[in-house]
Amino acid sequence: MTSWIRHSAARGILTSRYPDRAATDEELPEAGRTPTAHPEELARLSDGERSLCPTGAIREQAVDQGRCIRCERCFAFGLRPLGSPAMNVGTREELRESAGLADRRPTSVAPFGTSLHVFMIDVGSCHACNAEVLALGTPYYDLNRLGLFFTNSPRHADVLVVVGVPTPEMVEPLRRTYEAMPGPKAVLAVGACAIDRGIFADGPRTGSSVGEIVPVDLYVAGCPPPPVAILEGVLALAGRGATPEERR
Amino acid sequence: MIDPGSVVFLAAVAALFAAAPVAFVRRRAGYTLSLAGSLLVVTAATWALAVGPFTVVSWTGVLGSDVSLRLDALSAFFVLVAGIVWTATSFYSIGYDDEPSAGLAVSYALTLGSIAILITATDWLLFLAAWEAMTLAAYWMILEALGRPSRVYSAAFVFLAFGEASTLLVAVMIAATYSTTGTFAMTAITVAGPLASVIFVAAVVGFGLKMGVAPFHMSEWLPIAHSSAPSNASAVLSSTLTLAGVYGLFRVVTLLPTGPSWWGALLLVIGAVSALLGAIFASVSEHAKGLPAYSTIENNGLILVALGIALVARAQGLPTLATFALYAALFQAFAHAVTKAALFLFAGDVERTMRTYDLTRVRGGLKDADQLASGASVVAALSLAAAPPLAGFVSEWMILESLFQSYQFGQPTLEFIGLLSGAIVALAAGLVLVAMLKFIGFTALWKPTHSAGAVPARGLAAPIAALAGVVVALGVLAPWVLVFVTPTASQLLGTTAIAPIGGLLAIPTGWSIISTTPALSMFGILSPPAISIALAVGALPAIAYYAAGRRRALRRADAWSGGRAPPRTSETYTSFGYSTGMRIMLHSILGTREIRRSAGPLGTISEIRSPETYDVELEVLDVFKSFYDVLVRLVGGTAVALQRAIMPGRVGRYLAYILSMTLIVIVYVAIAFGPR
Amino acid sequence: MSPAPFDVARGSAFRPSDRTALAYVSRDGALALYNDYATHRSTLVHEPVLRGEDLEVRARWRGAAPGPRTVSVGGRVQGYGVFTFPYGPVAMGTAEAGAFDLVTYGERILELVPTVGYKDRGIEQAVVGRTVEDAALWVERRAGVFALAHVSAFLAAAEAAAGRSVPERELWRRALAQELQRIQAHLRLLARVADGASQNVGAAQVHALEEELLRAISRCFGHRWGFGALLPAHPSDRLDRNGRTELADRLGRISRGFNGLWETFLTSRTFIDRIQGTGTVPAAESVRWAAVGPTLRASSIAWDDRLRQPSVPYTDLFVPLATEANGDALARVLVRQEEIRASFLMLEQMLERWEGVGAGEVIPSPGIAPSRGIARVEAPNGDLVYDVTIADGRVASLQSRSPSEANWPVMALSLRGAVFTDFVFSLESFGSSFAETDG
Repeated sequence: MTSWIRHSAARGILTSRYPDRAATDEELPEAGRTPTAHPEELARLSDGERSLCPTGAIREQAVDQGRCIRCERCFAFGLRPLGSPAMNVGTREELRESAGLADRRPTSVAPFGTSLHVFMIDVGSCHACNAEVLALGTPYYDLNRLGLFFTNSPRHADVLVVVGVPTPEMVEPLRRTYEAMPGPKAVLAVGACAIDRGIFADGPRTGSSVGEIVPVDLYVAGCPPPPVAILEGVLALAGRGATPEERR
Repeated sequence: MIDPGSVVFLAAVAALFAAAPVAFVRRRAGYTLSLAGSLLVVTAATWALAVGPFTVVSWTGVLGSDVSLRLDALSAFFVLVAGIVWTATSFYSIGYDDEPSAGLAVSYALTLGSIAILITATDWLLFLAAWEAMTLAAYWMILEALGRPSRVYSAAFVFLAFGEASTLLVAVMIAATYSTTGTFAMTAITVAGPLASVIFVAAVVGFGLKMGVAPFHMSEWLPIAHSSAPSNASAVLSSTLTLAGVYGLFRVVTLLPTGPSWWGALLLVIGAVSALLGAIFASVSEHAKGLPAYSTIENNGLILVALGIALVARAQGLPTLATFALYAALFQAFAHAVTKAALFLFAGDVERTMRTYDLTRVRGGLKDADQLASGASVVAALSLAAAPPLAGFVSEWMILESLFQSYQFGQPTLEFIGLLSGAIVALAAGLVLVAMLKFIGFTALWKPTHSAGAVPARGLAAPIAALAGVVVALGVLAPWVLVFVTPTASQLLGTTAIAPIGGLLAIPTGWSIISTTPALSMFGILSPPAISIALAVGALPAIAYYAAGRRRALRRADAWSGGRAPPRTSETYTSFGYSTGMRIMLHSILGTREIRRSAGPLGTISEIRSPETYDVELEVLDVFKSFYDVLVRLVGGTAVALQRAIMPGRVGRYLAYILSMTLIVIVYVAIAFGPR
Repeated sequence: MSPAPFDVARGSAFRPSDRTALAYVSRDGALALYNDYATHRSTLVHEPVLRGEDLEVRARWRGAAPGPRTVSVGGRVQGYGVFTFPYGPVAMGTAEAGAFDLVTYGERILELVPTVGYKDRGIEQAVVGRTVEDAALWVERRAGVFALAHVSAFLAAAEAAAGRSVPERELWRRALAQELQRIQAHLRLLARVADGASQNVGAAQVHALEEELLRAISRCFGHRWGFGALLPAHPSDRLDRNGRTELADRLGRISRGFNGLWETFLTSRTFIDRIQGTGTVPAAESVRWAAVGPTLRASSIAWDDRLRQPSVPYTDLFVPLATEANGDALARVLVRQEEIRASFLMLEQMLERWEGVGAGEVIPSPGIAPSRGIARVEAPNGDLVYDVTIADGRVASLQSRSPSEANWPVMALSLRGAVFTDFVFSLESFGSSFAETDG
């Protein structure tokens, strides 16, 4: 007992200062950032270079953050990682335009108070997104300090965090889980798979995306997104998201 | 001068007995007559308690002494309780009895009549005759369940065997009484010393057998006999036949002089152990009637505990405590009889609707099929689980309050017994909560997944609801009920009892039950009416909110089942599963063991491997059943051995046996009755 | 050239003993791998004659039919009051889409029937016709938390199939990456077991160490879970001198932190009591049901692919082998923590000798057939087998047997007769991943 106290005291405070301070490089590694380029640079890319992207995320004017799986192949022809956690979070349109929440003041999607209960559902993930979502409960991120909590039943949940690409078997469970939640409720799709099926877009058993099954309010891009980006997403649902000035 | 009450009671007895031949012809007419008789019984008993005791009828008995039926305060109390129960059961029977023969109706009427005679008899011989009549009539009633698939023959036999054992001991007690008083009339027994103790112990065992308390509970005859009987019979047996046992014990106690303290201590121990065992077995019972039957053992145990405290207190010169404990015992007897009848009648409703008594197969179902009866059963079960402000709550509070005061006993041993009994009773009270929640949870409250085909039985709900109403009224109006039964308490105490009633602060005098000690003017206080009012006021906002919510739009969603389709019946908790934790925790008491079949014995994980089906059963043993099994085997073995030794089929030895027995009898008679 | 890691036999010439376990069998049944725990040798059998027991084991592995399937090992139990307690596929307790049927009469688990395959994404079919590099993107997203082991095994099999040589340094990178992820996976498992035992402070501390390790991996390979780290075209890593020093520093801190924590765990009676004797798998059952990895080693079978099927650089490293005798949750936890220490030790060795790694190429041992290669890797959960056929530079067929898949039968067995509260310890101490199982 006392030795646990000793251990804890010896480690000191580990918890992130995010969102009060900007995310550090440790909290937001390159792979968690958004590969972007100026529209004119993108326009210069050849079709061959464009087709190197395994998910077809590179569009004429922007990189579709929702599709990008951060494989970094495109770094070879000049795209660069940049951005804040808020850049990973946005509506489907915002992510498609490489914008994210970073460019606007987020508004709460549901009449929530400031404290939310979060239930996570896995509909076919590789477990990396699950791990990053659950990492919010560990000392480095500690979502409880922000009045956010994990719950073990959708009956008690305000926010449904969906990870993974829906397999045929998980379509119905996802729908049931959404049905089981009391209103008001919101859905946060986390990770490339949950946004637009990611690498699995042309897979044999992964034909539908989460947005076609339940209404998604906000998306968190990444493969997997870093915990701070997921945190940003949950906060945004409560109307506590970043503004461009605050978090850049 | 003829007391008007005596006319009423005579009419009542006449109606109860007349119901038997009438029922033979027309069953419903018989039950209706029983109903009328029961109502008259209630009227006469109320009259006797309110106005004063009266003799109904008297005549000269075969032995020359005066024999009479008399409603003194004690008899009146018990007759009142029985009458209330019978009113409900008779009304219920009109709609319930669909037996192929009229036997049930006839035996039912005879049982009621015998109990009425038994409780009002002033002569031990008449008492014994009524006692035996009651036993035989009840036996017949149990036999009437023959048409059903059950082990009723052996159950009925077990009932008869224990009934006769009880009769035998009561006869011994009466003989011992006769040897000191020289009369069969129920007069005060003045003898002290060992003979008084013999009378007392014989009474405890004899009447205890009927009450079904441990270790005579046998855990057999009560549950099996009662649960295989038809439900109206079960209610009569469990509520009023055991009540007859309670009455017998109380009667003997009033007649005996103040005995040694160990009398009370004996009752305390028996009562506490009964309460605990009853509660444990109730919580692991899967039978809609077995469970309340075990609960009867628990409740009769509580009556013994209260009586035990009263006896110890009387012996130790603590009249205040003795009075309080006696009130507790009376109230407990009243509360239990009414509540338990409601539960048994409800069990009959369950069986009629779901076609089974098996809680694991019932799985709810009554909630939709019979809302009134379900609600009433919830009230009754909560009362047994001692939820305020119901009758069971008041009686349990009074009993625990008495137990708390056992520190005044003045002898370390007695105080220790009081303390231990208190702890056991409290434990039992907790377990009963488990049992009762299981009972109503798996019959009345749970929304079933498979009740589509259930056919609600009609016309059974009203008497259950009426009994539930009595349970509520008893609880809410408890102080006035105590005042009303004061004559009975006085008779038991032998002095004028003062009901433990008072007030506190804003609660008016007479609204509260108060326990006092010589040192403290207020040891404990409970005001059921005040609690009821507080509960009602507190519930108002919730009721208002609920009423408002009804008008709001509700979205109904399926039960959450981990994202799967709503659970099928096989995927919902069984009542067996609900109490398996208890079976495993109390394995040393219950002798729990797991049996696996059709795949060989299984101890380690590797033994069953092939994908074939196997059966598993978690068996619970009753230590007392094992004890009686051994006893039966011993007696049976001895009998066979004797038979082989004496009657081996050789004429010579057989003649020698007859001769020797004759000689022994002659010698004994010569010594015992010869000239001195 | 790497030594051939296994003997080769054909048909009925191979006679398995009761110390032999099926390690892999191809979908068409034409090829099987056996481990012999007596001789510590592996045998590749062409046209194998599968025994009844092997067929039963195989029936519980992934077959041709996609979608959910149950992994039942015992009889169907019935009896008075018996009911099924459904758990999952949506539950925060498993944190993954997988389900369990707990057959019970209350309190005790009579049978546990896991249902796997809810998240079968069809990766093995999907990669057919893709280039190795594209296929690798799919493979590493099969089980993200074990991505490095899967990519290593896949690439090794593909290289064996193509007969393509690999730079020795690349093999060292793979081993380094795998050991890092092994520590991370084991820490994660310990934290979850501790969480199950309500050792909240300890669990939080271990989770903190895991996060630090994830950051170290991210610093070193550019991705917290190592996605892309081992792909042929990955731009860079930070394993230059400075990068190695930084990695060594970080690992040293984590290692010291872990050692201190573990001491405290061992003094916590409540923690040990909850997992000691819980979810026991006897050695015979482990062999019988072909369990792998720490689960196998926890029931005293000394098999570790890094030792028994060694490849560069494990051939050059000191690989400590951890085994425990009791086969319970405690034994599995002990094996994992021993392996954490062992991996730290190996990482230290690798970082020390990094400069001296030759610039040469390693030619893989010949494939089992033209254009077909099998590779085995000791993933965090145990023996991982990839069987890859390459045609025209593209994947023609991909088959695999993952360690999670292999361990469900013993996991189901271990809970028979246990009480509900043992469930979490058994589940977490096996650490089987549904994602890895389902593919």
